[in-house]
Amino acid sequence: MSKSAIKAWRLSLSIVALFLILILLIVWTVNFLSGSGLFSMWTAVALLVIIAIASGLGIVFIPEVRWRRWSYEVDEHEIDLQSGIFIITRTLVPIKRVQHVDTRQGPILRSYNLADVTVSTAATTHRIPALKQETADRVRNQISKFARLAEEDV
Amino acid sequence: MSDLQRQHPAAALANAFDIVRSNFITILVLIFIGGGGQQANFTLYWILGTFIVLLIWGLISWYRFEFRVQDGELQIEQGVVIHKKLYLTSDRIQVIDISAGVVQRLFGLVAVEVKTAGSSSKEAKINAITREKAEQLKRLLRKENKSENAEASEGLKQSQVYTLNTGDLLVAASTSGRLGVALSVVGALFSQIEQIISEEQMISFVENHLPNTTSTTMVLLSIAAVIVVSWVFAFLGTIVKYYDFVVEVRENELLIARGLFERTQLTIPFNRIQAVQIKEELLRQPLGYASLVIESAGYGEEQANSTTLFPLISKHRIYEFINEVIPEYHADISETTRASQRGLRRYLLRMVWVSLPVILTIWGTVTYGVYAWFLLIPALVLGYQQYRDAQISKGDDTIILTSRLLSKTTAIIKKYRTQACEIRENPFQTRLQLSNFTVHVASGNQGRSFTVRELAKEDSSTYLNWLANGNSTSILSDDKVEEKEEKEFPPSQKQ
Repeated sequence: MSKSAIKAWRLSLSIVALFLILILLIVWTVNFLSGSGLFSMWTAVALLVIIAIASGLGIVFIPEVRWRRWSYEVDEHEIDLQSGIFIITRTLVPIKRVQHVDTRQGPILRSYNLADVTVSTAATTHRIPALKQETADRVRNQISKFARLAEEDV
Repeated sequence: MSDLQRQHPAAALANAFDIVRSNFITILVLIFIGGGGQQANFTLYWILGTFIVLLIWGLISWYRFEFRVQDGELQIEQGVVIHKKLYLTSDRIQVIDISAGVVQRLFGLVAVEVKTAGSSSKEAKINAITREKAEQLKRLLRKENKSENAEASEGLKQSQVYTLNTGDLLVAASTSGRLGVALSVVGALFSQIEQIISEEQMISFVENHLPNTTSTTMVLLSIAAVIVVSWVFAFLGTIVKYYDFVVEVRENELLIARGLFERTQLTIPFNRIQAVQIKEELLRQPLGYASLVIESAGYGEEQANSTTLFPLISKHRIYEFINEVIPEYHADISETTRASQRGLRRYLLRMVWVSLPVILTIWGTVTYGVYAWFLLIPALVLGYQQYRDAQISKGDDTIILTSRLLSKTTAIIKKYRTQACEIRENPFQTRLQLSNFTVHVASGNQGRSFTVRELAKEDSSTYLNWLANGNSTSILSDDKVEEKEEKEFPPSQKQ
């Protein structure tokens, strides 16, 4: 996993946090203008502080831990994924079952030169997040090559 | 059948009914809103007008709908506004479904629905053709798929037929798992009664007819009434659905037919079956009965994404039945692992967390709510039973997961049908060295997963590795299976 993944995740979390604060402000403004006293300024400030602290902590720690916990392994028989901050999940996907693989990147990931690899089977979709662009391309090609081989073996 | 042809003209009517049926609730709401009060006449015109418009629409869509079979391909051209051409290769066709609704029966016709993995079934539905044509169509599409010899021997070989006898149907109906659904619906309706009948009316009714009742008996009586009414609904619903249930085992497919008013007939090729479930419902288990459910790729009835193979079968007959009907899924178990003992308290605690909000709400809102605490006892018993039932076992190339939420579910999965498997653990489980084990199989569009909770960690790792490794080796040794497999992948994969 690329180290710059942490930065990218921090950025996207910050955007989410900003968005939350924006919603809060809009709700408060509407409330204020319409003049109903249900939602006082102090509640707004309290909520604002809570969101700020929570997202601050989240932005600092979550990406770091998430990055440390994520690991993946691809060989000719299976894809082995391990992840989770609190709930740890280990997933094995037999290569034979892979229907298709894509890499995708949003604007944030692109600015850090990262990409997600998505593996789909007939039943499930698995994501290997925030790999370096070149790594992502390589992993994608490798999975698709293994999948092809597994098919031709028999 | 290589020329383009239209359906029977009755399709126009069937199309119109289809639209009505799929928008039934919207229409009801519109009628209620539009016709509030004195303008009953107006509503009548409105309904008539709508129906005529729908009929015209149905006529046009009948006119524009043409189909043919050419080179083993079902070609459908349709569309009133947007012209669509649909080409279905017979290799990709998962299920051919022949059914007869009310309209079709009036004209002695059938509807044919062709389903593939991932296509929305609405498009490949031929709404009204004669039965002979439907059979011809089915033969044409199946023949290409299965090669001639299978077709030829089918005539010779006597196919086995299993039916659900009336006694079993009645048992199935009276112990139906739909009771829960019906219960919530009836309960919801019951709580709305207040809006229709005012409280004074209700009180005076009670005073006139049941003068000696206390409020406790009133509560109990109304609960009993709700239960009885919903039981009747569940009973009737099951009878309508499973009336005259027939399973026919053919050379390489299963044929299931059922239904009282609307006969549904579906064929499932054996190689499309992804997993088999044995469900022992809460009410049926003490009687020694269970039902069998098939998961098949790209096909499922309603939203459940699975098909009932047999609605009611006694427990000691079940393995015999599996052996006769779907022998592939009859496996010798070589190893069984129970949920870890350390997990028992997590099972119990979970039931406490689940039932606590319910109990607290009842306690807080209802007069005799204190008694709600007694709910804790069945909840704990259920939790213990969940722990007892949770187990995982394996045989040659089969993995069997057993677990219980309310009803006990045993999933029999072939190793080469698993799409992915997964171990999960949260921090509490890590402390106790426990984990949850999940296997995903393809079923319908989303797939389905089966989980066994609180297995000892080393056990679940063993099973995970076994599933993953065996996957490549068992496939290599069994090339017959592989032939079937390959059809499921889109062609682009093979290049």
